[in-house]
Amino acid sequence: MRVELRGITKRFGSFTANDAIDLIVEPGQIHCLLGENGAGKSTLMNIVFGLMRADEGEILLDNQPVRFSNSGDAVRRGIGMVHQHFMLVPVFSVAENVVLGFEPTKSLGRLDRRRAHSEIRALSEKFGLEVDPEALVENLPVGLQQRVEILKALSHDAELLILDEPTAVLTPQEIDSLMDIMRSLADDGKSILFITHKLKEVRAVGDVITVIRQGKIIDSVPPTRSEGELASLMVGRDVNLKVTKEAVHAGDPVLELRDVVVRDDRGITVVKGVSLDVRSGEILAIAGVQGNGQTELVEAIAGLRRVESGTITLGGRDVTNRTPRQILDAGLGHVPEDRQRDGLVLSMSVEDNLVLNTSRRAPFARRGTRNLAAVTANAEELAQRFDVRTTSVKSPTGSLSGGNQQKVIVARELSRPLTCFIAAQPTRGLDVGSIEYVHRQIVEQRNGGLGVLIVSSELDEVLALGDRIAVLFDGGVMGVVEPTMSREEIGMLMAGVGPS
Amino acid sequence: MTTAEAPRRTWWTRYTSQSPSLLTFFALVLGFLIGAIVIIATTPAVLDAWRHIFHSPTAIFSALKITWDNVSAAYRSLFVGSIGDPRSFVHSFTTGKGWDTTMTPISETLTYATPLVIASVGVGIAFQTGLFNIGANGQAILGGIVGVWAGSMLHMTSVIHLPLTLVAGVLGGIVGGLIPGILKAYAGAHEVIVTLMLNYIIAFFLLYVVLSTALQQPGQSNDISRTIDHSAILQPLFGTSSGLRVSYGIFVAAAVVIFAWWFLNRSTLGFDFRVTGANPFAARASGINPKAVIILVFVISGGLAGLAGEVQMASTNHYIDGGFLIGNAGIGFTAITVALLGRNRPGGIVWGSLLFAALGVGGRTMQAMTGIPLDLATVIQSIVVLFVATPVLVKEIFHLRTQAQGVQLATKGWGQ
Amino acid sequence: MTDVAITSTSTRSDVVPHGRTRAIGVLMIIVGVFSAWAFGLGSVADAHSAFTFTPVNVSSAVPWSLGQLTVLTRPTNLVLALLMIGLGVEVYVRRPSAPLVRFSIVAALFLIALLFWACRTPGPAQVPFVNLTSVLIGSSAIAMVLIYGSLSGVMCERAGVVNIAIEGQFIAGAFFGSMIDSTTHSFLLAALVGALSGAALGWILAFLAIRYLSDQIIVGVVIVTMMSGLSSYLNLQILTPYPNLNVGNIASNIGVPLLDKIPIIGPTLFNESGFFYLMAVLVAAVSFALFKTRWGLRVRAVGEHPQAAESVGINVARTRYRNVVLGGTIAGVGGVAFMATQGQFQVGYTSGLGYVALAALIFGRWKPSGAVVASIIFGLSAYLVNALQSYNVPLSSEIIGMFPYIITIAVVAGLIGRVRPPAADGVPYRRD
Repeated sequence: MRVELRGITKRFGSFTANDAIDLIVEPGQIHCLLGENGAGKSTLMNIVFGLMRADEGEILLDNQPVRFSNSGDAVRRGIGMVHQHFMLVPVFSVAENVVLGFEPTKSLGRLDRRRAHSEIRALSEKFGLEVDPEALVENLPVGLQQRVEILKALSHDAELLILDEPTAVLTPQEIDSLMDIMRSLADDGKSILFITHKLKEVRAVGDVITVIRQGKIIDSVPPTRSEGELASLMVGRDVNLKVTKEAVHAGDPVLELRDVVVRDDRGITVVKGVSLDVRSGEILAIAGVQGNGQTELVEAIAGLRRVESGTITLGGRDVTNRTPRQILDAGLGHVPEDRQRDGLVLSMSVEDNLVLNTSRRAPFARRGTRNLAAVTANAEELAQRFDVRTTSVKSPTGSLSGGNQQKVIVARELSRPLTCFIAAQPTRGLDVGSIEYVHRQIVEQRNGGLGVLIVSSELDEVLALGDRIAVLFDGGVMGVVEPTMSREEIGMLMAGVGPS
Repeated sequence: MTTAEAPRRTWWTRYTSQSPSLLTFFALVLGFLIGAIVIIATTPAVLDAWRHIFHSPTAIFSALKITWDNVSAAYRSLFVGSIGDPRSFVHSFTTGKGWDTTMTPISETLTYATPLVIASVGVGIAFQTGLFNIGANGQAILGGIVGVWAGSMLHMTSVIHLPLTLVAGVLGGIVGGLIPGILKAYAGAHEVIVTLMLNYIIAFFLLYVVLSTALQQPGQSNDISRTIDHSAILQPLFGTSSGLRVSYGIFVAAAVVIFAWWFLNRSTLGFDFRVTGANPFAARASGINPKAVIILVFVISGGLAGLAGEVQMASTNHYIDGGFLIGNAGIGFTAITVALLGRNRPGGIVWGSLLFAALGVGGRTMQAMTGIPLDLATVIQSIVVLFVATPVLVKEIFHLRTQAQGVQLATKGWGQ
Repeated sequence: MTDVAITSTSTRSDVVPHGRTRAIGVLMIIVGVFSAWAFGLGSVADAHSAFTFTPVNVSSAVPWSLGQLTVLTRPTNLVLALLMIGLGVEVYVRRPSAPLVRFSIVAALFLIALLFWACRTPGPAQVPFVNLTSVLIGSSAIAMVLIYGSLSGVMCERAGVVNIAIEGQFIAGAFFGSMIDSTTHSFLLAALVGALSGAALGWILAFLAIRYLSDQIIVGVVIVTMMSGLSSYLNLQILTPYPNLNVGNIASNIGVPLLDKIPIIGPTLFNESGFFYLMAVLVAAVSFALFKTRWGLRVRAVGEHPQAAESVGINVARTRYRNVVLGGTIAGVGGVAFMATQGQFQVGYTSGLGYVALAALIFGRWKPSGAVVASIIFGLSAYLVNALQSYNVPLSSEIIGMFPYIITIAVVAGLIGRVRPPAADGVPYRRD
């Protein structure tokens, strides 16, 4: 199917998410839409899929203009979408999820389960995507859930398949097989719109790469362009992800993990005996595909999750299963993975957020009464020092940009005496300027002798920052390696294939 | 967000851009308008007049006049009953006499508002922490029971007895608050369901206490308790002879409001409460113990509700019966609407309590003078709160371009 | 994709079993031991109890007479208590997946033992027997209203909107039902108008919750307050001056031919008013529609994951509107049904049944069938509060009255089994 977008514009209030976007996807083509987080990719795809309506512009399918009042219309016109956050009902079976919205029925509107199951078996066979139609989605691992999502997208004879950041939860090997699937679908004549911010993937699989930046199409280029060229198109200037750092002077361990075992919310053991040391003056970076226990491990260190067995020692003190407050007081600085959820109170002012975990201490409080003057003075000083851009330290933190919000957390955590500093996904979703700034701060702290633990699913970030790299797979450490190791070898470790 | 221009704040922008007071005002206007419609639609005289508008050319004017007369009479009596008759004020000013009668409506409003403020502050603190205490009514009953017990079964000098019964009331409320607090903190039970159920359990408990225990008035088989000692009574401010019922309880209420203001805005624990209410995840990550906060909130909220029940006992009721605070007339339920109206802030709650107390007290005069049932006050209150809880709707009705934020809403789905 | 995908998350085998099922077992054993002590040993050795079965006041043409069942109180109650303890032990040891069913049986056995004990001779009772059929008929009237209410809750909450305003819809239904029935002498018209009034309140809830994303619980609570005020206002303004608007007819029973002749069950289930049969039809219809049809799959998708539903073209807002209005309709009819069994509208006479229905919905795990079981138990205990007063039981009837509320708290606290509400229940949904 040939898909053409003409002059698509979408505004949210005064913010223009999509600005007169023109785009053509030819049949059998894998068209990559490359852009940073927040560039407007997902908005555009939601418009194509009928979840949102454009303020201006039109969509043409095989040269016919179409208007979708909801995504059901889009599906009926042969568009399927694999969402970044799976659109699956956890308590429904695979079959119920796939047929939802287009259910085969018998008399009285009864669901025809048998027909649903056979339809899904046929689909599975046709595309080589094996899955049990009767299994409950909530019991499936993430990789299989995505398979269900793809089946669902294909189930209505989709001629255009939209994949929105499908690789975020996959291992390199899973990514490879996803790319194989994409190629074979394209060979069948299906058009594919592949949305990502990862340069390697677009070059590996794309026929055409369209770069989108701040809601505008910047350029459409062939996949032969170098990663550097693509990156500069994406961000609008040459970026240098390479962080300059001095040679490492590691001292004694400040954070020691010994055989740490942690369970996730569902009670599944996801950290299976991790032992690691973070030494003062070094950055230990944890690499791994999301969902291999990193999140839970960091939460356990910060006291937010129970350690089932094993010990955690911070600055020589046993802090296993201590409360978050005790661990903070023992000198742990923590930049949480989900900053808007765990790191900030968006409705409260910047100055309050800057004392979120020190509000009880002098000089911010005395005998249970807060000293608001000291809180403001502290905020003014930190905003200056950490370049937090805000009209006033009394503005709600939610009014700040993502980068400045992250600076608030970093400023708060670094403003008190620390033994060890942990940053989980420290630059996710940030603009390039903020990324550079956060990286520089982290390296400075390490140069100043602090022990730093970085967790990131971005291999480039891990390679750029880490003095040593620990690869986590399925809750275990596959190995601790030097940053000089090749990407491919680390990729193998991330996929759980040990060094031969 | 670097150089965003700070909005110029003139008195006008104050009421068009940020201030939620305007929305509250409009919600009140809408409430009274709908109240007027209810009056019109249910008053036989008015309906009769409209039925005959085609009989003569002037009938429509007389119908309009009858409508106006009825509605304005209702609202005038509401005003007279809750604040006072302007003519009485003039009379008392010029002659210096009759102040007792002139001030009776205000005294009644303050009397009714006193426990209401206390209970509403309790509900408001819970709302600010992200918890919905529907159980304030039951906690107030428990406070009343324990307060009456301490007031009638213990005998001592007033200096000790009165504070002791007040503390007893607080303790009763705390017991009622601890149950949902502990169940929420340690078993994840949704506080709305638990407190809702507890209201009924406590209502049965009250019946049990006044029917089957030593607290029952001796020689009585009805559901009535003993009367509290004179030494445990919050005396009328102007003496018994004045007939004005407003009691020293308003100082208790004032102390509660001042405490709540300090607590929420200046104390570290109050800061923790607000952080927990705005983002429980961030609260936990920054070292706040969510379980402790939940339990403490219910201790404070329940304690204040219990105090409210006991203040009502000590200042006006003096004994508890099986019908105390039963049904939606209970101050614990009104407290929810007051807290919402006052946006959970102590200052706003004072105004909200005075307004709803005035509606309740004036409603009685309205019923006596015009025959319109006082329950109209409840209807108006509910409608006002529905609009306050839906600021966007009010803005649409009045075509406001404001950015005023809504009430900070507490509840999530059952699952959380 | 390779098999790596599947192994990258752990298998489900190492899920921690929560010890809560055991807690239920312990609770059941405690109830059993208490029954043995209070109801078994609490009666003198030669005391006996009698159950009669021939209904009074139903119709003289009952073709059967079962005489009465007389048992020795102490041994019978000890056997019942042993049964309770046995079930408790079974739950504790085997940890079955559906402990709530066994808990319900224990609750029923407890109430039977209580009845035996209450009517024992020699004993304090003025009436030396319990008419079991009367008990069942009396409690079925309350259970019916509760079922209407909890079905309303199922409709709303399965679509993701918390309907805490059931009580308000009951009040509206009862008020307008009484007015319409008094003027037209037609319960059909009364039910229609009651349904409309409930639907209107449902629409207000839906409008504020869906369009304006207001807090559903607050809106619900305020709607109840508003309705109790409005009904009281209208009662004084309209019903008191015109008593012929509030006659308070009671719906007559319609016997199902043949079936109503079955002993005990006949008069309880097959000689009821039309509202009862309508309730039965609704239970079956809602159950079927929710779990067997396309409509139900979509409704549940909206209540579990509205974004997913929207992404396949299901209109979340419309689904929610429709369900909340339908739910209000059902609760409105429930109000009329209540009025049709209780007579004349009085202010506050629904006395919180709407909240008990909410409790039954939760106890019944958001399923029509579960809500029916919960409503029967709650209806039985609500009826016994009044009935036991004539037996001079030293155990206060107020304590029995607390029963439904206490077990609801125990259920939401996870002390008795785990309940899982629809994932998006009560969460406002914003498109875009």
